[in-house]
Amino acid sequence: MFSKEELDNIRKKEEEWLKICEGWKERKEMFKTYSGFPIKRLYTPLDVKDINYLEDVGFPGMPPYTRGIYPTMYRGRFWTIREVCGYGTPEDTNQRLKYLIEHGETGLNIVFDYPTHNGYDSDNPDFEDEVGYGGVPVDTLLDMETILDGIPIERMSTSLINSPFVAQSIFSMYLAVAEKRGLDFRNLYGTNQNDFLMWAVFCSSSNVIPPRPLHKLTVDVVEYCTNHVPKWHPISFAGYNYRETGINAVQELGLVFANAIACIEEMLERGYKVDQFAPRLSFFLSAHNDFFEEIAKYRAARRIWYKIMKERFKAENPASYTFRFHVQTAGSTLTAQQPLNNIVRTAYQALAAVLGGAQSLHTNSYDEAICLPTAQAVLVALRTQHILQEETNVTSTVDPLGGSYYIEYLTKEIEKRVFEYLETIDAMGGLISAVEKGWVHSEVSKAMIERQKAVEKGELKIVGVNCYQTEEEIPVEVFRPNPMAAEAQKEKLRKIKMERNNEKVKETLDELRKACEKNENVVYPTFKAVKAYATIQEISTVFREVYGIWTRPLIF
Amino acid sequence: MTSERKLRVLLAKPGLDGHWRGVTVVSKALMEAGMEVIYVGNQTPEQIAEVAVQEDVDVVGLSILSGPHLKLIPKVVKLLKEKSAEDVLVLVGGVIPKEDIPKLKKAGVHEFFGPGTSTKKIVEYIQENVKKT
Repeated sequence: MFSKEELDNIRKKEEEWLKICEGWKERKEMFKTYSGFPIKRLYTPLDVKDINYLEDVGFPGMPPYTRGIYPTMYRGRFWTIREVCGYGTPEDTNQRLKYLIEHGETGLNIVFDYPTHNGYDSDNPDFEDEVGYGGVPVDTLLDMETILDGIPIERMSTSLINSPFVAQSIFSMYLAVAEKRGLDFRNLYGTNQNDFLMWAVFCSSSNVIPPRPLHKLTVDVVEYCTNHVPKWHPISFAGYNYRETGINAVQELGLVFANAIACIEEMLERGYKVDQFAPRLSFFLSAHNDFFEEIAKYRAARRIWYKIMKERFKAENPASYTFRFHVQTAGSTLTAQQPLNNIVRTAYQALAAVLGGAQSLHTNSYDEAICLPTAQAVLVALRTQHILQEETNVTSTVDPLGGSYYIEYLTKEIEKRVFEYLETIDAMGGLISAVEKGWVHSEVSKAMIERQKAVEKGELKIVGVNCYQTEEEIPVEVFRPNPMAAEAQKEKLRKIKMERNNEKVKETLDELRKACEKNENVVYPTFKAVKAYATIQEISTVFREVYGIWTRPLIF
Repeated sequence: MTSERKLRVLLAKPGLDGHWRGVTVVSKALMEAGMEVIYVGNQTPEQIAEVAVQEDVDVVGLSILSGPHLKLIPKVVKLLKEKSAEDVLVLVGGVIPKEDIPKLKKAGVHEFFGPGTSTKKIVEYIQENVKKT
């Protein structure tokens, strides 16, 4: 972008400037990004001299998409405001969803409770204590009907935060509701999380099936959507959750891309062409604390995805190589101490996501480290996004930080390191092998431990925790999900099991078992089973019985 | 000269909560402090009490961030008492509102270490409070 003569002149001036700097003391010996990249005092054209504008930066909506996946980005349409919601009974969640829509959210984001994610019913005596706490319980189709009651799913897109183990059941239930409403599946918009890495590594759990069959179940949903629900995102590689463990931006991107590659390879193995399904693969990233690094991360991600899809998989449809992503601001950075500070953290993180070109955003509530969001807290989280959209004017031009010497340099560095990370995973035989070997678990434990040490040494500063602590406490209202949720669900289950056609249920479960044994797509028989009001535990038990239980590697 | 028995600590996640970062860093810190750590992951209260007795531990550490702590943790303590393991130090960490801590302590939890606690504090607490037989 600069001629050799200009660069020489800049270099000479820089030498002069460095001499002046010698008289100025700095706060630290070394400045680093969260991911460990050394940060220079200043970035100049010299740092981006090898970057070619058209090849590396380009225009939004055109390869390599560094500046954005659409030509007009937020000038055309704001990102979707999509707050996570789910607790208590399906009725409670339905009410909160309506509250969020009334107060300006533009997409749904439903999270299910732990027993549901694990394929256990609310009347399971081992797990009934946990019903309705981490999300909303869904035992049968009735619960999905209740959650969506009065909600215009034909007009709104719905993100279903479903574990890879029950995504087939939960998604089938959503489709069954759509079917009952006479909606054409081809016009349904939404996302399944359905990420096998979540269950194989990032969520601890008991009684998990092994990674390979788990992966197979997730790809069944991709395949089903490719054929029947073409506008739906069947999978959302959940880098946000990976990042919450303490890994860095390079690892976050490396793992989501390795995961996407494993999914694509399986679909190709099944005989599909990449352009048939790749346009609907989607990503879910964190908006963490290091403001500029996060922005560079999103830009790098777009360029990396373009290169992977074009060079590795020879995609031809531009929709296959545009990187679509939802962002959540980083929950693990929020503190129980001085909780109102979390509003500020979330605002900065949300700004990074917007400057980075996210398609959809969830902002955390300030009580994140204490409880599920109260209505008041989630309203502030919503307004954080409304203020960004309506008051800051950052949305009036596309990729405003493009051309910043620091941002372009960092974007390139991150890209380079991510490709190196992918090579490491490839050398192990791909992500699933890396999981089986315990390598991913080990990467994660290491990161967890290192981060904690950095906090305890005071290297990683957390306001209110290891600096600027206060004695006085600002009381915050504690949200309590409905303590009667388990009882309510148990009663529903009792009734359903009496009223449904139990013969039919048994038939559908037998069909599901046969499909598993014959390695066929499980979504078809699952869809039949949920319509017969089979329970999530009845369906998941089939998977556990056919695929067996895996002992996760424990690495310290 | 008798060799001093290492302190034995059972770390577990009662129920299905999937967050394992906190319990991992605590495990590492306790191991580095010379304790024997048995981490069993997600287990029911019954399973936790069972292992605690089988492994003859001095400390049971429970980590829970999902919300149902007032239901699950007292169950663990009750079962430990029933199995005559009352001397075991019961410690808790996770996402638990301050106002619930007195209830947990009344149920038999000895101490709570919330978000932001340094692992050093936990190590020191154990070393100072464990009942040595």
